Amino acid sequence: MKRIAIVSSIYRYLSHAQHMGDRFLIGYPHEGKWHKPDVQVVSLYVDQKPPGDQSAERAKEFGFTVYPTIAETLRCGTDKLAVDGVVIICEHGEYPRNELGQVLYPRYEFFKACTEVFEKDGRAVPVYNDKHLSFSFTKAKWMLDEARRLQFPVLAGSSLPVTWRLPDIEIPLGSQIDEALMVGVGGSDPMDYHALEAMQCMIERRKGGETGIKSVQLIDGEAAWKAPYSQELLIAALSRSDTPLGLTDKDGRTQDLVRTGELKRLVAKPAAYLIEHNDGLKTTLLMLNGAVKDYTFAAKVRGHGTMSTQFLLTPVPNVTYSACLVSKIEEMMVTGRAPYPAARTLIVSGMLESCLQSRQKGGEKLATPHLGVRYNAPAQSQHARR
Amino acid sequence: MQLTRRQILASAALPWAPNRPRIAALVTEYRKFSHGQHIVDRFLEGYGWDGEHHHPAMDLVALYVDQHPNGDLTADRAKRFPGMKVYPTIAEALTGGTGKLAVDGVMLVGEHGKYERNEKGQTKYPRYEFFKEIVKVFASSGRVVPVFNDKHLSWNWEWAKEMYDTARRMKFPLMAGSSLPVTWRTPSLEFPAGVKVEEAMCVCYGGVDSYDFHGLETAQCMVERRRGGEAGVEWVQAYRGENFWKAYQEKVWPTELVEAALCRSHTLVPAREGFNNIFPTVDDMKRIVKNPVAYRYRHADGLHSTMILMSGLIRDFNFSAKISGQKDLFSTQMYLPMPDGRTTLANFFSPLVYNAELMYLTGKETYPLERTLLTTGLTAAGVESLYQGQKQLATPHLGIRYQPTKESTFWRS
Repeated sequence: MKRIAIVSSIYRYLSHAQHMGDRFLIGYPHEGKWHKPDVQVVSLYVDQKPPGDQSAERAKEFGFTVYPTIAETLRCGTDKLAVDGVVIICEHGEYPRNELGQVLYPRYEFFKACTEVFEKDGRAVPVYNDKHLSFSFTKAKWMLDEARRLQFPVLAGSSLPVTWRLPDIEIPLGSQIDEALMVGVGGSDPMDYHALEAMQCMIERRKGGETGIKSVQLIDGEAAWKAPYSQELLIAALSRSDTPLGLTDKDGRTQDLVRTGELKRLVAKPAAYLIEHNDGLKTTLLMLNGAVKDYTFAAKVRGHGTMSTQFLLTPVPNVTYSACLVSKIEEMMVTGRAPYPAARTLIVSGMLESCLQSRQKGGEKLATPHLGVRYNAPAQSQHARR
Repeated sequence: MQLTRRQILASAALPWAPNRPRIAALVTEYRKFSHGQHIVDRFLEGYGWDGEHHHPAMDLVALYVDQHPNGDLTADRAKRFPGMKVYPTIAEALTGGTGKLAVDGVMLVGEHGKYERNEKGQTKYPRYEFFKEIVKVFASSGRVVPVFNDKHLSWNWEWAKEMYDTARRMKFPLMAGSSLPVTWRTPSLEFPAGVKVEEAMCVCYGGVDSYDFHGLETAQCMVERRRGGEAGVEWVQAYRGENFWKAYQEKVWPTELVEAALCRSHTLVPAREGFNNIFPTVDDMKRIVKNPVAYRYRHADGLHSTMILMSGLIRDFNFSAKISGQKDLFSTQMYLPMPDGRTTLANFFSPLVYNAELMYLTGKETYPLERTLLTTGLTAAGVESLYQGQKQLATPHLGIRYQPTKESTFWRS
């Protein structure tokens, strides 16, 4: 059985580390069974211990050790790397924000602490990194370059790409995509990241694969409505929403938010993230707080018309979508292969950072020659559908 | 030429399409989140469907509302949709005051509102009474039109059977039932056609003479696809409280099917503090589920099905089955985006309304009425078994045989 270390920011009820980490300890629902993972958690690092910290109680119950440093966690108190895989979950906890509004989670530092051990001990093991690789593209890129240099697989990202879809669609591999649009909600930079990655997992399946990002632009406020996104795709995406607000909240009615004009009344601060890819594809993320509470997507796919879906975020506290993600992590730990490319997360980390820089510059369009990240989508669907 | 559903709808949606069907809706009440509101609003306001804000290719022209509680929305909707007139009686709603049937379809929503409960705990929703009013107008007008009846046909089996027989005798299309058979599934799986099924299970939540019906429809829309189709039900036995746990531990029903169903849930109440998604032991279940109920029934071809209400433990509808010759159990969840705070729209009404629209446009029932006749009878038999001290009751009246539709009718597009 593979031995893994969990390296986390905090381990508290409903933190990412708890709801993902626990699944390795007590199992999780998977394909109609309560799956007992083929991996064993042998060590844990927690960066902060806020009130409600569960690290000690989990260690005691499940027979592993909490170590004071990442190196010791990976070596389990010995002088050599003593695990077969590392799960880095650096989300939640008290960390400062920078001038772009990004939370400065030390994912790069955690990752670097791991690679230092790998290098010194002459062995590298698979690493999962929760959410974006880093708030900084430079750091994120270093992380993947380092993984390539030391030859270990990396899996990263959000659970949106792997959760249930309503309806259960997949863009056929190699399709010509003419335009794509994502609707998201929540704050920056946690939730816009999820939304961008959800869109990316769909559009990376287009003909030629991902070719990198040519430019980005983030337009905030009223001006966002004038951004050049497709009204038709916005209608399609919102038709998949189960959470329109305003009049629906008031008396339960269904709403055509776009054509009635309610959308603009409901969203006080819209934001349009405009992404231009190197192959010419233009995609838009609209953050529409106040109008809806879910994540929906639509794209014009040649030969298939408009394809649209909702990325289902299942209810709290089960958040079963994180079980979908944990099964992917387990797959990598067991097989030594990442089921989908971390380059996806790299490019999303970079596009988000550049979007936030664009916002800081008053919505200026920014050329992004550094984001020439090319990769191909996995042929197999990776989201929950069995 | 055989037209696909999409082509039929597309042609009917054209602005020049002659004679848009005129629909009358008869509802018990029209307030936020009543079934009447969910359903009628979808005709008036349209709804998200197939990646569009879809407007039914028909006009809801007449409305009858039986009760007007606080929060009644009838006046608001009548004002905003002047094409819809509100009538004080069912006959007037159907005739527009002309004395003759003046609509092309009827939507009957007899759910919610204050109606008497009988000694068995059944709410006497007036679906049968509304239905009788409808057929009276049909008879006097010498014309019949399709009728959609939300939920089970009636709390009273004899009346339900009469409704079914009347529709067949007078030859008008009648559809009925729950949203569960037509809503999303996670995963989006259809039950394989023509297989032999050894055991089937629905684990869900809610009360007797209420969500039990939804649970029965959940199981029935799946098992009717088995080899030979539905063969009817020979007996029903209900279990509750201590009896339920005794039966659970004696494995009266296969507990691995309960476990498989629970593994499809998105709402499993954590059995231990500090854990967000942990599988319960039987002792945990006993502690968490205060009033469990099971209806176990035997079909005429030997299949046993069990519908279990585990209120307190979950808030969703999960199906599992043992298919002969297959190693793995079959399971899925019939997913309801329930507006309980997380969502704002009960969008599982969208596929229900869509199927009603298809019937109004084509005059064809899109799934078998016999399914809901059977689940209506099963609901009543389950309630009766509970009332008679959880006795096993023979159900010769439920010898209802029917075949499923070839095409899947659950929400996938």
